[in-house]
Amino acid sequence: MTEAVLETRELTRRFGGLTAVDNLNLTVPSGQLHAIIGPNGAGKTTLFNVISGLLRPQAGHVFFRGQEITGLPAHEISRLGIKRTLQVKSVFSQLTVAENLWITCEGSKRFLHPLRDAQSDRAARERVEKTLEQVGLAALANRPAGTLSYGDVALLEIGMALISEPKLLLLDEPTCGMSPAETERAVEKIREMARIVDIVIIEHDMTVVFGIADAITVMAQGAILASGNAKQISEDERVREAYLGRPEDEDYVEEALNA
Amino acid sequence: MTGRAVIERTAFVAFAAFMLSVPWSVPSLISQFWVSVITEILIWSLFAASVNLLFGYVGLLSFGQALYFGFGMYGVGIGIDQLHLTFWPAFGLGIVAAIAMALVSGVFAVRLTWHYFAIITVVFSLIFYFIAVRIKPLTGGDDGINFSMPPTFTFGRSVWSFTDPTFQYFFILGTVAFCFYLMHRVTRSPLGKAFVAIRDNDVRAALIGINVYLTRLTAFVMAGFLAGVAGALFAFFGRYASATYMFYHVSGEGVVWAIVGGAGTLFGPVIGTTLFIVIREIVSTHWEHHSLIVGVMAILVVILAPKGLVGLWRAALDRMEDAKQSKAMPRMVKTEL
Repeated sequence: MTEAVLETRELTRRFGGLTAVDNLNLTVPSGQLHAIIGPNGAGKTTLFNVISGLLRPQAGHVFFRGQEITGLPAHEISRLGIKRTLQVKSVFSQLTVAENLWITCEGSKRFLHPLRDAQSDRAARERVEKTLEQVGLAALANRPAGTLSYGDVALLEIGMALISEPKLLLLDEPTCGMSPAETERAVEKIREMARIVDIVIIEHDMTVVFGIADAITVMAQGAILASGNAKQISEDERVREAYLGRPEDEDYVEEALNA
Repeated sequence: MTGRAVIERTAFVAFAAFMLSVPWSVPSLISQFWVSVITEILIWSLFAASVNLLFGYVGLLSFGQALYFGFGMYGVGIGIDQLHLTFWPAFGLGIVAAIAMALVSGVFAVRLTWHYFAIITVVFSLIFYFIAVRIKPLTGGDDGINFSMPPTFTFGRSVWSFTDPTFQYFFILGTVAFCFYLMHRVTRSPLGKAFVAIRDNDVRAALIGINVYLTRLTAFVMAGFLAGVAGALFAFFGRYASATYMFYHVSGEGVVWAIVGGAGTLFGPVIGTTLFIVIREIVSTHWEHHSLIVGVMAILVVILAPKGLVGLWRAALDRMEDAKQSKAMPRMVKTEL
């Protein structure tokens, strides 16, 4: 097995009396598309927030390729190559599509030139154009991102993930709220990206998860409930209980059938 | 070039031509008095631009910009009156004082956003207002400091000084225009794009690797520079410095001018400032409650034109272009916006 791209050791994050992430030991090996699933409130998004530096953990450590990143500010973690999307689609709504890509490409530079024209950097402009082609948004390049349809915003998010040349990509429910056609397109893009970059994905849509993930970790109440491949997970009794199908529901179905 | 670009360029050239002709055209058309009103408008436009840089581009609403205006003023006033500096060192002292104050208060203020940020900027400005009123020997307290104007340039026997109203006008016009040009460059630069990204979504900005704190602090210091230059110019223009200009009431006026003119646009503050100072000058001779008109107009603009007067103008240009396009393609169904 290759070196772990991401590892957490005894990671804990509490909100008042609620322990959202509880003593979590997670290892994500390199070269895989890793999915994290779990019922609402399992602590998945909190885990992402701690990894990406939006929240500080109360205890424990996060390692990225062997380097400790616990408690670093978000922009420094981003500059190391860990990029993420947010659960609620969030782009820069008053910047154009091209500018969104441009700032994502250039924003992580330590020095942002205060007087030179942003358009004058040819290398960056060409990368923006290439990315626009890749995600199929070239026709909308000059539209403010706030006026895009939901599916196009999701494509822009993927474009922003691509142009930032991530070493590790954290996707928080990338297909949430999408139509089946949009989901299919997004899944296609994610598969493409997974060939060149390590991805950890939080996802609710089981067909998406079982379709693309090499490895799945199931979280419940801030801790790991089970991990394995799609087959192992779908057959795991505890997972079924906690997440996939509740016995009461089955009873309810049986009752309905017998009625 | 599109029709829109032609209109905007023509408007700008006409505006620039008028500004260059003011010392001759305005006295012959109206009166000499209005030359000094226009000079004052230039200075206050720069002050409103300082509010605009923070609110319109970075999304930080400061109610304390008068503090840096006041430091610019006192830098010049104390520099000339007590330190016996000549014109340029005094000008420099005013700007450096404003920048230094902006840096010190910015270090604390930009950790906060929205109302917390607005409140801390007011608090800083109040603290230094009361200090300035108290230390009378240095600041002159409520009376302020009056000083006599040193010459700006001396070449052998020829002397240029603010005592010549035409020189004074062009010096202020040149300085303000230069500052607006700088701001224009900044807003188009990589740093300017980072400003807008932070205004739109600061969490996302951090996640793509922008150092949000440092970028906000940079903007805050830049805004302090603009307000400081405005304050220094105003001290030269009035030959005095006074703590009254550090009061947050002055900051509030800057906020109103910037928002009514159009926050987030380069020329919005100029338009807002012009409108309100012209109203003040015309109405105040007839009616003492002219600020009522200002209040009503501010409320109307905020409700009816949230992007300010420049926003209205741009929407009108958009409609004009849409009308042209739908004439060209009459069959296209227009979608309601």
